[in-house]
Amino acid sequence: MTSRLQLNRRAVLKGLAGVTLGLPLLEAMGKEVAQAVPRRFCAMYTANGMSLPNPKHGIDEWSWFPKTEGREFQFGKSTEPLTPFREHISFLGGLHHPNGTKADPHLCSDMWLTGAPLHNPKPGMFNSVALDQIVAQHTKQFCRQPSLVLSIDAGVGFLSRTGTISYNIEGKPIPAENNPRRVFDRLFRGDRNSAVAQREQLQRRIKLVDAVLESSRTLNKQLGQSDREKMEQYLTSLDEIESRLTASEKWIEIPLKTQDYSHLNLDATSEGEPREYYRNMFDLIALAFDADITRSVTFMLNREDGMGISDTFPLKLGLGRTHHNLSHAEDKEGQMAFAKYDLFLSEQVAYFLNRLQQFKDVSGSVLDNTIVLYGSGASTTHNPLNLPTLVAGGGNMGLKHGTHWRKPKTLMSDLYLSILRSMKIETPNFADSSGVLRDSIFSKV
Amino acid sequence: MIRKPSVSYLILPALIGIFAVCLACSSGKPVEAEEGRAVAEPKATLSAEETAFQERIQPLFKKYCWRCHNVDEMKSGVRVDQLSAVPEDRILFQLPGFQKQIDDGLMPPPEEPQPSAAESQLLTVWISQTLTAARTRDRKKNGSVRRLTVPQYRNTLKSLLKLDEDLTEGLPPDGISKDGFANNGQALVLSPLQVEAFFEIAEQALDLCLVDEKTKPVIQNFVMEFGASINPKPCPDQLILGANNALLNNADFVVTEPKPIKPFEFEPFAMQTKFEFIEGYVGNDTIRAWKKFDSIYHSVFACVRGSPGYPKGEAYQVIPSGLVLRPSIPSSEIFGVSNTYGPMANFKISLRELPEHGNFRVTVTAAKYDDGLLLNAGEPPHVAETSSVSADAAKLGEGVTIKDAGIYQVDICTIPGKSQGLLTLSLGERHFAGQLLETKAGAESVGDGTQLPEQRTAFVVVRLPAGELKLQAKYGNNARLQRILFTPLKDDSDLARRFKIFEQRLPTLGVYLGLRRDCGSTLTPVGASQSVSTPDLKAYVFEGSIRDFPNPDVEKNNVNYLAGIREIGVRSESTDGRDMPRLLIRSVQFEGPFYDTWPPPTHRNVYIESTQRNDPAAYAREIIGSFATRAFRRPVTSAELDTLFQVWQRRFAEAQDFRQSIKDALLVVLTSPQFLFLIENSSTPEPEDLDPYELASKLSYFLWNAPPDERLLHLAATRHLHDSLDSEIERMIRDPRCNQFIREFAGQWLSLDKFDVVATDGQRYPKLTRDAKAQLREEPIEFVKYLIEQNLPLRNLIQSDFIVANEVVANYYNLASRTESGLRFVPVKHDSEHLGGVLTQAGILAGLSDGRESNPIKRGAWLARKIVALPPDDPPPNVPQLKDDDGTKLTLREKLERHRNQKGCAKCHAGIDPWGLPFEAFDAGGLLKSDRPADTSSKLPDGTEVKNVNALKAYLAQDRIDQVAFSALKHLACYATGRSLSYNETLFLREQATKLKSTEYRMQDLIRFIVKSDLFLKK
Repeated sequence: MTSRLQLNRRAVLKGLAGVTLGLPLLEAMGKEVAQAVPRRFCAMYTANGMSLPNPKHGIDEWSWFPKTEGREFQFGKSTEPLTPFREHISFLGGLHHPNGTKADPHLCSDMWLTGAPLHNPKPGMFNSVALDQIVAQHTKQFCRQPSLVLSIDAGVGFLSRTGTISYNIEGKPIPAENNPRRVFDRLFRGDRNSAVAQREQLQRRIKLVDAVLESSRTLNKQLGQSDREKMEQYLTSLDEIESRLTASEKWIEIPLKTQDYSHLNLDATSEGEPREYYRNMFDLIALAFDADITRSVTFMLNREDGMGISDTFPLKLGLGRTHHNLSHAEDKEGQMAFAKYDLFLSEQVAYFLNRLQQFKDVSGSVLDNTIVLYGSGASTTHNPLNLPTLVAGGGNMGLKHGTHWRKPKTLMSDLYLSILRSMKIETPNFADSSGVLRDSIFSKV
Repeated sequence: MIRKPSVSYLILPALIGIFAVCLACSSGKPVEAEEGRAVAEPKATLSAEETAFQERIQPLFKKYCWRCHNVDEMKSGVRVDQLSAVPEDRILFQLPGFQKQIDDGLMPPPEEPQPSAAESQLLTVWISQTLTAARTRDRKKNGSVRRLTVPQYRNTLKSLLKLDEDLTEGLPPDGISKDGFANNGQALVLSPLQVEAFFEIAEQALDLCLVDEKTKPVIQNFVMEFGASINPKPCPDQLILGANNALLNNADFVVTEPKPIKPFEFEPFAMQTKFEFIEGYVGNDTIRAWKKFDSIYHSVFACVRGSPGYPKGEAYQVIPSGLVLRPSIPSSEIFGVSNTYGPMANFKISLRELPEHGNFRVTVTAAKYDDGLLLNAGEPPHVAETSSVSADAAKLGEGVTIKDAGIYQVDICTIPGKSQGLLTLSLGERHFAGQLLETKAGAESVGDGTQLPEQRTAFVVVRLPAGELKLQAKYGNNARLQRILFTPLKDDSDLARRFKIFEQRLPTLGVYLGLRRDCGSTLTPVGASQSVSTPDLKAYVFEGSIRDFPNPDVEKNNVNYLAGIREIGVRSESTDGRDMPRLLIRSVQFEGPFYDTWPPPTHRNVYIESTQRNDPAAYAREIIGSFATRAFRRPVTSAELDTLFQVWQRRFAEAQDFRQSIKDALLVVLTSPQFLFLIENSSTPEPEDLDPYELASKLSYFLWNAPPDERLLHLAATRHLHDSLDSEIERMIRDPRCNQFIREFAGQWLSLDKFDVVATDGQRYPKLTRDAKAQLREEPIEFVKYLIEQNLPLRNLIQSDFIVANEVVANYYNLASRTESGLRFVPVKHDSEHLGGVLTQAGILAGLSDGRESNPIKRGAWLARKIVALPPDDPPPNVPQLKDDDGTKLTLREKLERHRNQKGCAKCHAGIDPWGLPFEAFDAGGLLKSDRPADTSSKLPDGTEVKNVNALKAYLAQDRIDQVAFSALKHLACYATGRSLSYNETLFLREQATKLKSTEYRMQDLIRFIVKSDLFLKK
């Protein structure tokens, strides 16, 4: 069992990495962590849907979804940059969140990774847990940080106009980072003071757990003939917590993997050139995966409904209108420009996949050990059916790519459950899932 | 550990498999034979009963039963191969069933070899003897250790810390036992994740409770007052709050931040008024440009965005004396089906800042508006009478003279033409507004016989005092307005009667707290709504803990104008859409964190009064001792206190920080098993009496779902609790905390969770809206509560001539005219063929459906399990699933029928379906089907025939009331003890309960019976 190696999620939330003292990884955390093939997950969201041009304009080749289905599919013009990765990607069609059809369509980014019934939220609660956080719960014991949450805009945006796609177990939004330098500092240049504070906090907690253990053992002795099974369960749980805390303390001592950071431009910001910005963010994700800093990443590439800086990107790229306005375009020129923005995004995704392919794991490339989900919460503007979805990587987790798979009215949550099962996360369901996707790209679910 | 059986057994190889079972049982330990591991040591000799079983009985079972009922086959989920001379408890429950099958000749089935009459008799006699023998055997009792359930933990934490915040949101829900209860010790598992959560919660709770006595608290206090043109200096900016913006006029409200009067020093909190945002809305478009704002009116808004289209009258109106609101008619808020902006008439204060923790208080100064009854479209204008008074439009300023005080109908006379929509009318100081729904009729004859080119439209009925009445009216540009006609109504006229009922009604004031979203709000009620009974302004206070409400979860300095906006909703609650006098709101005040004293009670509750305050170590020991004693619900032992005090000492030695060191010690208390578990400590295997403290906790967690109060603990300390049981039970049932028990118990007993999760088909059941569902969910709980409060006979649970309903629930059953109780649940006579009791409550019947079709199997299984305690066996492992789409065109009912008739299914379903068939008259919304099946008769498992639901109810409430009482007692006992009952205990209940029959099994008697029985009092 690996239970003794599990980490306390709160303990490592803030940057601990880079404090280079003492023990190498293998010695500190044991063989299982150091040598097992990692399983990772990365979700990337693009807002306002993709271009699916009106047939009357005669520009079908600019449709984001490939024209034909199955293994014989042909890339459209806006996804052409992905051609080199044909055997590592699949297009998935016909997906939707049933709750998406009931809620205001502007909420689609809030619920993309959660599937929550936002039209009828539980009192006191807004959203429910996002897929990446379920992954993080199960992978956090193997790496330094449970998850990395990125977005084009820092923070959380606000309810119903979210700036993050990640929600914790309680359904609360997890604030996203958007600045490459801050992300880099947090991941690769752990701050000494916070490490000390973290360690003090951990040590205090360990002492208190010890005191509870002591008090419980005394009680247990007094219990006479009583049914002790429940007490044993409690003591075991305390032991477990103590060993998790101890493991968290150990991560502080382990040096980071040596990596080449020379290609990074940490001065790139979301206010500058979009291509430069995205590429640096993707580089950081790839580096974080390679160094096993985290195994769960989300990146919101742009925001719904004209929010935030990304709305201006098509203007910067010479496409004439803002992102939200382009998505509403009915005219041929506008729909063409919208498709060209898709093309721009495809280029960035291709860049990312290429980075993941270059990094090698114990077995296969980082891409082979990472399931990458890329998509939107609307097909065309405000249409919550047939969500544009691309799945890449994860070959070592049984994903069989190179296809355009399509099944109308398929639940997004079933796709998410399939991803979890492929990662060997044996949860019975996710949100409103009805089961895993059969006869699809997932061969090991 | 596996021991070889002794040699003598080895010569009978065929029996080896059985030895493990028999031997294990004879040593009192259950062993699963299929695991192939015998844990018990073989005994040298067999008892007489064991020998008899092995030689005479087991071979018969083996010959006739084993082939189908073994570990692999397990037909109908039954195994016979596990039988032994001294069967374990679990098997005893099955024996009467075996006996009946053999007696009735049902088993073995006809196609199998049949036992002779003598053999059958041998088996049935053996079963009788075995059951009798089991009765005389005493079961071991080894105390119990069970974790507090999540609600118990929540209540305990609140009571111990005097902290109102609920910190338990993140805890995973408790598991449900086979008996259906969440407090079963065996089902209450514990994971590291949970224990980690207990640490987090304890940490948060202590941080919230303990303050730095030397700092001054910061208190936010503001008031929004309403009235036409009340604000002498309105905000000059045009205020916009997102798309489809709807705000009150800037001049019609005013916001101030007065400093409250407090008996302690504090820092008043001033809301931020200067902002800079880069994102905001202009109409429906997002703009992106930095802009500065400077006004409190960019911080606090008076928002009325809701669903448009109020059916009659204006949803809200600002008049000189305040804001008048009509009831908030709910919307289902599903995109594409209805508006997502919330109810019609949806007032809320939208604002940027509220405190982050602590309690808050919202004070609404409100009154019942002296209102008129707006008339519906098409209601006839009054024929003018000599007593009518008319006011010409041209001379409205002169007013009219009302000769006699009374009820008047007001008709509006206009020159025929195109409707001009809204009419506003002021009668003295009273204001009315509504669409004037003119008919197309042209000129008509009036009383005096002259032809006037006017048409008359009925508008409102009002009570008017005698004397001069000032008038104002506005209808378009008033060009078509001819005159206003006042006609007194006779006291006994229908309309006057309608008006008198109307004017008696009391608006219900509800306050909410939540968040603004672009697509509507997430509002949660702050406490219970309150009836507004007087026409004079009065302060209505609502209190809550800020952390129990949704937090905007946005960072400070978010660049969007709309980010993180919170809302304080103020509504007149709607029930079923009936006419209701409007609610007048003069002002809304918010204060938070709200403190009466400083330091707050949560702090003083820990930092107790003491003469040792100046001696840190002695005071710490005193604090910890007092706290641990309250937390452990018994005196803390000196060993326990030593351990806890050491925690304090160690921390205090580090930094001399008294408060932090106290927190550490208390954190250990709050995460210790003595706090988290209900422990009944047993020193011998013999049944022992509970000690008085154990009894105090057992009682209070049973009847209050909360920790014992001071009185119970005092009785325990003085060892008087055991002999005060009767009076304590009485007192505890009368205590409001008893509702916590009833809600928990009734909800789980009646499986109301099924109603929570059923996905109702809104097209088929349009009446079963979200809001109706919320009230119908309460009905069974309120019903059981009423039965207990009134100590009524149990038969009412099955059949009663009343329902317990509020206006929403009554309206659902088409009984709206019998209620005037608003949202309060009261008993209502139903005079109906099919209502009364829990069996036909909509929440029950709809919960036991798939949301589209009724389901006799679910309903039957529920009744068998919950009401008559004849639970069907679990379905066998290979039971086929019913498929929605199996290629046939059969209806669900036909599919179920086909399923029932399948071999292997029939036996169990014979005990389920007959109970459910009479309910086929009811649809999946819990109401009578419009196309009622002609035949809802059923032949019950005992052979009785009932022709419909009513006959079934009568049969249960009269002929089978003992069985129903047994079921009620069994469920109460399982809940009270937090465990499943042993075979002997169920027999005890069955036999002894009949003592309660002479007094008709009254509800409180049942509870008292359980508490005073050994199954509750022994450990």
